[in-house]
Amino acid sequence: MNETVLSSELMQQTFIVVPAYNENDCLERVIRELRLTRANVVVVDDGSTDETYDTARREATFVLRHVVNRGQGAALQTGIEFSLSQGARFIVTFDADGQHQVEDVPRLLQPIYRGECDVCLGSRFLGESIGMPWVRKMTLRLGVVFTRISSGVKLTDAHNGLRAFSQQAARQICITLDGMAHASELIDIISHAGLIYQEVPVSIRYTKRSLTKGQSPWNAFRIVFDYLLSRTSK
Amino acid sequence: MNNFQVVAIIGLTVLSGATVVAHLRRWMRRGPCVFWCGLWIAAGAACLWPNKMSSVAHLLGIGRGADLVSYCGIVAMLVGFWMVYIRLLRLRREVTLTVRRLAILEAQRVYESGEHSQDDRLESKDEPMS
Repeated sequence: MNETVLSSELMQQTFIVVPAYNENDCLERVIRELRLTRANVVVVDDGSTDETYDTARREATFVLRHVVNRGQGAALQTGIEFSLSQGARFIVTFDADGQHQVEDVPRLLQPIYRGECDVCLGSRFLGESIGMPWVRKMTLRLGVVFTRISSGVKLTDAHNGLRAFSQQAARQICITLDGMAHASELIDIISHAGLIYQEVPVSIRYTKRSLTKGQSPWNAFRIVFDYLLSRTSK
Repeated sequence: MNNFQVVAIIGLTVLSGATVVAHLRRWMRRGPCVFWCGLWIAAGAACLWPNKMSSVAHLLGIGRGADLVSYCGIVAMLVGFWMVYIRLLRLRREVTLTVRRLAILEAQRVYESGEHSQDDRLESKDEPMS
């Protein structure tokens, strides 16, 4: 079996989960690019008030809709559970705002295909980040330090939405934090479950739109609060 | 008994009665019912015998009975806020689970029944990535 056929077969068993909330402006382009990989694209419309659902229904392989907005963590878990129910062997999480590069998806999946690890985490600090404001850079660096202290996991980028999981790893993922704190929770789950992980260099391209719509640095406090609260209230 | 004590005792008696009725109608479990009734009785006792409160306050190293009531009130309020917040978080989690279940069931129904027609998808003429 040659490499191309193998990749094609494996990509058909791969599900790319795209959580989307009011992302109609760039969702069409993102899905079209993702479909070039031949993977199944699962869009989870997280209660959008624009035409995100219609666009996703037209373009994506599968579309799920939250009747009310529940947050990115909740949408990811929904997408992961649905993908597993459809027999996904590999699951990738990918942001809908166009910051991630489709070319990174096969790169992220390769170590899992080869059986080297269960989880691949994208790292913009090992790869490149174009147009990242220094405030964002500082906040993300602090996030790395926080993750190292709270979870004991050494990463270079703890809050990157581009990740890949094997089926076995995805079955152990149960995100309970609905908001953005899910990224820290995910690292905890990976650590506690003893999953083998690897960081892979990826590119992040910040645009004016993604920066306007993205997280404010002040949200970092909210994320830390939600995460710490979840650890005390479990 | 002064006017304040009369009003307070009437109010606390009504609250105790309402708590017991809530338990009898099965709106409230026995544990919370006992807790709230105990709280109303303690508040009533503090209203009726303020001097006794001062003795208790002295025993605890607090100067006045009124201060003891204030401190207890603040602590009870903070604990109450915390409990309500935790309950709110649980409720939010339950909402998320319900929303998720609905989304997955609906998607499974649509895709397994073939309701989602291929016609409304755009035909992609792009070449797959190598």
